[in-house]
Amino acid sequence: MKKIYHNLKIFFLFSRYSLRSTLDHRAGVFFFLFGKILRFSFFFFLIFLVFSKNQLLNGYNFTQAIIVFLTFNLIDTATQMVFREVYRFRPLVVSGEFDFILLKPYPVLLRLLFGGFDFLDLVVLFPLCFLFFYFLFQLPSINLFSLIAFFFLLINAFLISTSFHIIVLAMGILFTTVDHAIMIYRDITSFGRFPFDIYRKSLRDFLTFIIPVGVMFSFPPKALFGLLSFQNTIIAFLISLISLFLSLKIWQFALKKYQVGGN
Amino acid sequence: MIKVKNLTKIYQVYYRQNNLIKDIFFRKYKEILALDRLNFSIKENEFVGFIGPNGAGKTTTMKILSGILYPSGGEINVLGFFPFDKKPEFLKQITFVMGQRNQLIWDLSAMDSFLLNKEIYEIDDALFKKNLSDLTSLLNCSSLINKPIKSLSLGERMKMELIAAFLHDPKIIFLDEPTIGLDIFSQEAIRNFLKTYQKEFRKTIILTSHYLEDVNRLAKRLIIINKGKIIYDGSLKNIINLYSKEKTIRLNLEKQPSKDFFKKYSVINYQFPRLILKVKRDQINQIVSQLSDEIEYVDITVEDEPIEEVIKKIIKNNEIREKYD
Repeated sequence: MKKIYHNLKIFFLFSRYSLRSTLDHRAGVFFFLFGKILRFSFFFFLIFLVFSKNQLLNGYNFTQAIIVFLTFNLIDTATQMVFREVYRFRPLVVSGEFDFILLKPYPVLLRLLFGGFDFLDLVVLFPLCFLFFYFLFQLPSINLFSLIAFFFLLINAFLISTSFHIIVLAMGILFTTVDHAIMIYRDITSFGRFPFDIYRKSLRDFLTFIIPVGVMFSFPPKALFGLLSFQNTIIAFLISLISLFLSLKIWQFALKKYQVGGN
Repeated sequence: MIKVKNLTKIYQVYYRQNNLIKDIFFRKYKEILALDRLNFSIKENEFVGFIGPNGAGKTTTMKILSGILYPSGGEINVLGFFPFDKKPEFLKQITFVMGQRNQLIWDLSAMDSFLLNKEIYEIDDALFKKNLSDLTSLLNCSSLINKPIKSLSLGERMKMELIAAFLHDPKIIFLDEPTIGLDIFSQEAIRNFLKTYQKEFRKTIILTSHYLEDVNRLAKRLIIINKGKIIYDGSLKNIINLYSKEKTIRLNLEKQPSKDFFKKYSVINYQFPRLILKVKRDQINQIVSQLSDEIEYVDITVEDEPIEEVIKKIIKNNEIREKYD
């Protein structure tokens, strides 16, 4: 318990410093927020456009499609907010400053994953939550069980995303490449913006069981609409546990392979 | 305190085959032996200078001893721990200062980084205040701690780095070229600080530097490493006695010497009234008395061979020996 409190205290300190560094660059803040709003509005408009000509999208009505889209944005924004430091990992490895992180009596993975909390994403998260709850109450029928399943599957999505980010960090050590891995991750996850049922079965299976993007983004809203089987819910939790276990093994392997000799 | 037995490190490095297809699809790697079965131990309160040419394995050794790198083989025991395990109890007892890298947060003040380290190392308030005050007064830099790091000069930044690294009162200090790139005044300030700090707080310090003046002024023990092998481990004084075969005599002449004089002695430099001679160590007494008879001079000084020259010789001899072995 004392250890958790200690780690949390340091996490808040990192976050405070991250906020102060962010606010130092006002132009950056403006363009970041502007870009986020623009991208969000564009996709929101796209969904409106689709439903202006169709009543249903592969069985999903307008409110359900919006909820899928908002769930994607909630998970995507929350993980970016928490894992922002991963995006800055490459310069740390290339400059050798990663050595200092390895020398601190503070868990290396915690520092690299959570060491750069992004408050700008938090700013975006609030209106997203508001919109999500607004559309949630538009659904004709939701029950407590679906809501609980939805909540746990959100946490599950967060765990899968953690595994992805740990693998990205490991790649950063092994190949000093982070940006490309993140780009691929973001491109693949963007499939989750729309209900997965609109994709072909082969692609759907690939994105669910091979790269568990479907489990991250499609399963939580499906549970909310009462469309997810119990069997699939269990599979979702198993996938996240396996991916977390594998990612930690890859991370440990990468740490042993880390080789920066001279100063 | 530090015990190393047969420490080996092999780096895997990819090399170009000058063929794009092969370089992409059939990449070849070669193994580089960075450390070759090193054996040494370091006791408490020792100040050890680790020197050698670029790529000799100095930094690699220190990075393995501090737990940054995983060794390819051998046994390592630092304060009773295997460093790579990165146990918090171990990491709290060591520190590492790297001359060209900084651990301080660029946009914020040094004090912010100190406070972060205070939490990470779990330093209690009283100790933090005491250590901070001791260190800032030793380095004479209390006015700098609240300025943003980005606004400090390199020398000032190094002072802040040292404070950040020493705040938690570490037992073992790894210093990797702490004076690199600094002007002579800053170099001097850092050297004086390290000397006083080690004397006052009795720490174990391992230092690498390309400025031999650092090692000469600070370390009592010297480990010379070349191509991953230790080629000398002993006192700094001893190295001169063991390896230096010559001494330098500097004279300030009163009159020009005869032409025969220059044939008789090995003159390194002559620009009247200054004359520099090189003589064998075992002949020094004899030559000095001869000089008194043969020439007139105002002043004479006898110097040992510069440490740089001695070390260069050791490394060169080692390379020649390796070539023919």
